[in-house]
Amino acid sequence: MRLTAGIHIADTARVVTRSEAYDPPEYVSWQADASVLREWDQTLDASRSRRRIVDCLTPREHLDLFAGLLRFRFMDTFLKRWVKQGVISKAWLGTGEEAVTVGSVHALRRGRSGDVVGPMIRNAGAYREMGMPMAAVFRSYLGTGDQLCKGRDLHIGDLEYGLVPPISMVAALVPVFAGVALAFKQRHEERVALTWVGDGSTRTGDFHEGMSLAASLALPLVVVVQNNQVALGTRVEVHTRAPLDKLHVAYGVKGYTCDGNHVLDTYAATAQAATDCRKGRGPVLVTATTFRMGGHATHDEAEARDMLPAALFQYWGRRDPVGTYEAWLERSDLRLEEGAGAWVQERDALPQERRERNRFLLAEVARAAQEEVERAASEALESRGTAMPDGSDVDQGVYARACD
Amino acid sequence: MAPNEGDGVATYLEAIRQALWEEMERDPRVFLMGEDIGEYGGAFKVTEGFLERFGAERIVDTPIVESGMVGAAAGAALMGQRPVVEMQFIDFIANAFDQLVNFVAKSHWRWGQPMPLVVRGPCGAGVRGGPFHSQSPEGWFHHVPGLKIVQPATAYDAKGLLKAAIRDPDPVLYLEHKMLYRRTKGELPAEDYEVPIGKAEVRRQGSDITIVTYGAMLHRSLEAAEKLAADGVEAEVVDLRTLLPLDDTTVMESVRRTSKVVIVHEDTLTGGIGAEIAARIADSGFEHLDGPVRRVASRDCAVPFSAPLEDAFMPQVEDIQRACGELVAY
Ligand SMILES: Cc1ncc(C[n+]2csc(CCOP(=O)(O)OP(=O)(O)O)c2C)c(N)n1
Ligand SMILES: [Mg+2]
Repeated sequence: MRLTAGIHIADTARVVTRSEAYDPPEYVSWQADASVLREWDQTLDASRSRRRIVDCLTPREHLDLFAGLLRFRFMDTFLKRWVKQGVISKAWLGTGEEAVTVGSVHALRRGRSGDVVGPMIRNAGAYREMGMPMAAVFRSYLGTGDQLCKGRDLHIGDLEYGLVPPISMVAALVPVFAGVALAFKQRHEERVALTWVGDGSTRTGDFHEGMSLAASLALPLVVVVQNNQVALGTRVEVHTRAPLDKLHVAYGVKGYTCDGNHVLDTYAATAQAATDCRKGRGPVLVTATTFRMGGHATHDEAEARDMLPAALFQYWGRRDPVGTYEAWLERSDLRLEEGAGAWVQERDALPQERRERNRFLLAEVARAAQEEVERAASEALESRGTAMPDGSDVDQGVYARACD
Repeated sequence: MAPNEGDGVATYLEAIRQALWEEMERDPRVFLMGEDIGEYGGAFKVTEGFLERFGAERIVDTPIVESGMVGAAAGAALMGQRPVVEMQFIDFIANAFDQLVNFVAKSHWRWGQPMPLVVRGPCGAGVRGGPFHSQSPEGWFHHVPGLKIVQPATAYDAKGLLKAAIRDPDPVLYLEHKMLYRRTKGELPAEDYEVPIGKAEVRRQGSDITIVTYGAMLHRSLEAAEKLAADGVEAEVVDLRTLLPLDDTTVMESVRRTSKVVIVHEDTLTGGIGAEIAARIADSGFEHLDGPVRRVASRDCAVPFSAPLEDAFMPQVEDIQRACGELVAY
């Protein structure tokens, strides 16, 4: 099975083309808008310290950030396709919000004994970015038996990769991650615990309790408030009167805001927050403003279009996190062989042949991402044929130590 | 001062202190978390002196965040720590219900991750605490696969069960009856010991009738048994100690010997764990029974504040005695 979101390197088209069937309409004929790109550059230059963090990224790291966005986008596209084909009944997607997850994960220390994260429904891209094979996410949707959770839950995690599975109850991970951070602090480990909460989830008791606890104990916890301006079927201005970028004041902790559609800004803001935590200045709230370019899940996309002002879709549609980053990278100096720090400041002056070389590199990244997602999906489908759980041990393992 | 000093006799409360202290000495992963447990020493002074010995990193004083605490205990447990959470009164565990039943209890089944944490706190009525400081929460949690629930009735068990709970890889609700804190005393061995989770204990032998009970009701049941003995009725008294999972073996062995059972608990009647025990006995012991399985439990209302109301609410020695007498005569 191939994605219709194909890849072209023809001169005028975007490197990553869009699919009429699966992309939001605003993305289908997406073109970089000069004012949006200017805004992107201004965001980069708005903070010296963030700019320094971004300047330390190597070309390879940039390409991997780009790949991360694409892996997430393509994974969602595939899930949508599965819904359409009746393989699964619905899927929760991160369309338009990919940069929040990808930027923050890439800013962490990944790998064994590294930082630990807890993804929520809009953060499924975190699994692969933390190192879990992409097929795991597809398998979770199919409920196959060849997973750590043996098909018992749709939510997945694996401490091997620093991933804690969420429960459905939103914001329940905030106290849990305060505890993860507490363990790090007690053992004097320089590790960071990070989880995301939606705008709606900031209204829960658990968000408040978790933040209060983490603040009172000065824990190395980063909570990213992913303000996509809607909670299921309720707009942010209806459910919350307080400014979401000022929540940190109530807890007496550091707070950063960032552009949730700007992967370099989410990356840099998370990097700042993580550094604060490692220096004992946690917890930190990072508020990322973004927009949900679809429904709460695949079943209510039309309702979301009815409920939310069209202008919001237009505004945020022009700020596609994939397209804007692609356009920026295209104008950047991506000489892989030369390592970090080789950025051309007057990016628009990049010679034409280098821009073409960049497009070629980006297309390679996109092709690899697409192939990875396709391979993962077919692996998972294979599991569905060969490794469905049989139910004979469904009540086993309730306890780690049974009482005989 | 370390609690384990002086002669071997200790109160139930002191036994709890000793278990906590010794486990903290033994295992650096063990830490305590709760409201006012540090400088203040806890509402019941269970952790008095702990802060000085173990420091603020392991005696974690928290804001008023029951759900926050239990969630944090879960997160720390995932990272390999061994948290013990104190509920100032067990009634407040209701505020942590979601974390317990959804995150904590399902963990091992859901993704194979053990949850070695303990939530402990004072439960039970009889001290005129009113509807929000007197409850028996075991029924709320008995229906939750993945949790273990224990309730000691003696000082010896208080210490041994708490040690076992802390060492157990599963989440354990440790219910300590506040009526017993200072009223119950016992000889504690000098050496380290555990009381195994999942094992009931026969506290009094008898051949005429079995009383299945736990917690403070053990003492009332034993008193009732003595009165029954004066009338020539020998009651066997089984102290469950672990409420989840239930020790069916010990209960069934006793039922086979006596053929008659009264279940006594302080929790309210409807949907209480007596119902589950009765159903199990009916299921696997029907042919041994010589009469209906009876339950003596608190009335189906909240725990009242006023003294005469509270007395009327919960089982008294006479209620147990009467139920047993009637069943023996059945
Ligand atoms: C405690 C709890 N209440 C209700 C729900 C149902 N629910 C699932 S997602 C959601 C909206 C969450 O909104 P937000 O936090 O903004 O996250 P988003 O979906 O926008 O990413 C609701 C109400 C839930 N999962 N958990
Ligand atoms: Mg939202």
